[in-house]
Amino acid sequence: MAEMLLSFRDVRAGYGAGIVLDAITFDLPENGSLALLGRNGVGKSTLILTIMGMTQIGRGRIVWRGRDITTDAPHRRARAGIGWVAQEREIFSALTVEENLTVAARPGRWDLKSVYDLFPRLAERRRNFGNQLSGGEQQMLAIARALMTNPALLLLDEPLEGLAPIVVEELAAAIRRMTGEGANAFILVEQHADIALSLTQSALVIERGRIVHSGASAALLADHAALDRLVGLRLAEA
Amino acid sequence: MPPVFGVLFDGIAYGMLLFLMSVGLSVTLGMMNFVNLAHCSFAMLGGYVTVTLMNALGWPFFATLPVAFIAGAVASIVLERLFFRRFYNSNELNQCLLTIGIVFVSIAAAAYIYGTDQQPMQLPPYLQGSIHFRGLDLAVYRLFLIAAAALITIVLVVTLEWTRFGAQVRAAVNNQRMARGLGIDVDTLFGFTFALGGGLAGLGGALAIAMLGLDPSFALTYLIYVLIVVSVGGLGSIAGSFAAAMLLGVADMAGEYYIPALSSVLIYLVMLVMIMWRPSGLFGRR
Repeated sequence: MAEMLLSFRDVRAGYGAGIVLDAITFDLPENGSLALLGRNGVGKSTLILTIMGMTQIGRGRIVWRGRDITTDAPHRRARAGIGWVAQEREIFSALTVEENLTVAARPGRWDLKSVYDLFPRLAERRRNFGNQLSGGEQQMLAIARALMTNPALLLLDEPLEGLAPIVVEELAAAIRRMTGEGANAFILVEQHADIALSLTQSALVIERGRIVHSGASAALLADHAALDRLVGLRLAEA
Repeated sequence: MPPVFGVLFDGIAYGMLLFLMSVGLSVTLGMMNFVNLAHCSFAMLGGYVTVTLMNALGWPFFATLPVAFIAGAVASIVLERLFFRRFYNSNELNQCLLTIGIVFVSIAAAAYIYGTDQQPMQLPPYLQGSIHFRGLDLAVYRLFLIAAAALITIVLVVTLEWTRFGAQVRAAVNNQRMARGLGIDVDTLFGFTFALGGGLAGLGGALAIAMLGLDPSFALTYLIYVLIVVSVGGLGSIAGSFAAAMLLGVADMAGEYYIPALSSVLIYLVMLVMIMWRPSGLFGRR
C-alpha cells in the first residue's frame, strides 16, 4: 500500500466527556479528494475539527504521512500541511484582507498574486478590514487564507453554506479550478451533495457519528436511491 | 500662564506614564483572557531596580532604564511559565486570587527589603527644573516623559500594525482558535507579548518615580488606575488604552487643580460615565 497522506484508525472523538464521533476509519492518499456528507449535526464539522486537533480524542490514531499526529497541537498540524477553512469562516476582523492572507502564509505556489488571480474581488478589497466584507467575500478570503499556507491537504467546511445562488456558482467554479489542478488533497463538507460529489473522487457518509457509507463519489452520485436514503437528497431522474 | 495649559501638560505627562504601565495588561488580557492583577508589581519592580542601581551602585539614570525594562520582562515571563499558564483555562476568580496574592507578596517583599518609606531619587541635573516657553512653565522631566512615552508608543504601534509579529498578535487577540488552526504558535507568541508588556510596565515604573514617588503600596495604588485605563480603553486595543490613559491623566490632574474636594472620586465618575457610554471600551471590539 502506498503511503497515505492522512489516515484515521478507529478514532473516537468529542468535546469533554461527550462522544460525537466513534469508530472512524478512512484513508486519504496524496492529492486525493474526499466528500464528507450527512445530515446536519451528524459530526461532519467535528471530524474536520478532529483533523485539526481541536477535539478530545478518546481512542484510535491519526496518522499524517506515516507519522502519528494524534496528540499534536493544532498549530503543528497546520504547519505540517493542513489548511483549514472553518465553517463560520472566522475572518480576523481586526486585520485587513491582505493581512488576513499574509499573517500565517508559508512559501509555496500560492502567494498573494495567485490567490488574487483566483479571487479578483479580494484584490479590490485588499485594504478593507475583515468585518467590512460580504458573506461571499468572507468565504473567498477564508479559502484564500488557507491556500496561502500552501497546504498538502485543504479542509473545506461547508464553503457554500448561506450564500446567494450566484455566489455559490462563482465559488464552486473557483473551487473546481483550484482543486482541478490536483496539486493538493482536499476534504469537502457540503450540504449540496451533488456539487460535493461532482468535485471529489471518493465520499464518506456519516450518520450519528459513524461512517455508514464509503465509496467512489461518481458511483454514489449515480445511485439516486442510496443518495436519498443516506443524505436525503432527491435528484431529478435524468 | 493660564492654568488650563499647565493642567493639560501635567495631565498628558501623567497619562503617558499610565499608558506605559497599562498597555501590556490590555494586550495580554485581550489575547488570553488572563486577568493579571500583578501587572503593576512589574512596574514597581522596575522602579526599585532603577533606585537601587542609582543609589547603591551610582549608575546614571538612563543606564538603569533598559535594566528596568529587562527586569519587568524577565519577572513576567518567569511568573507566566511558573504560575499563570496553569490558570489560562481557569475562571476569572481563580486568576484574580492568584495574581492579587502575587501583589501582596510583592508589596511585602518590597517593604522587607526597602522599608515602607518613599524612595529618594535624584534626577540628573539636565532633567531638573523647567523651561519657559511663550509664558508657559514646562517641567523638563515632564517634557522628557511625554517625548519618551510618545517615542515608545510609536515604536509599539509600528510593531503591532506593520510587522507580521504584530499582525499575528492581533489575529490571536481576535480569534485564538483560528490563529492556531493556521499554524500560529499562540503560546510562544503570548510569551513574547507577555514579556513585552511586563518590560513596558517595568520601564513605566522606573520613569514614574520622579513624578509619582515609589513605595511598596505602588503595586496596589496604581493597579486601580491601570485597570480603569484597560476597561475604559477596551481590551486589546492600543489606541483605546492610549486615549483612556490620556483622558484619565488629564481628568485626574484637572480634578486636583479645580475641584480638590472631589479629586479622589472624579476619576471614578469619569470611568462610570465612559463605561456606561461605551460598555466594551472606547475602541473595544467586544
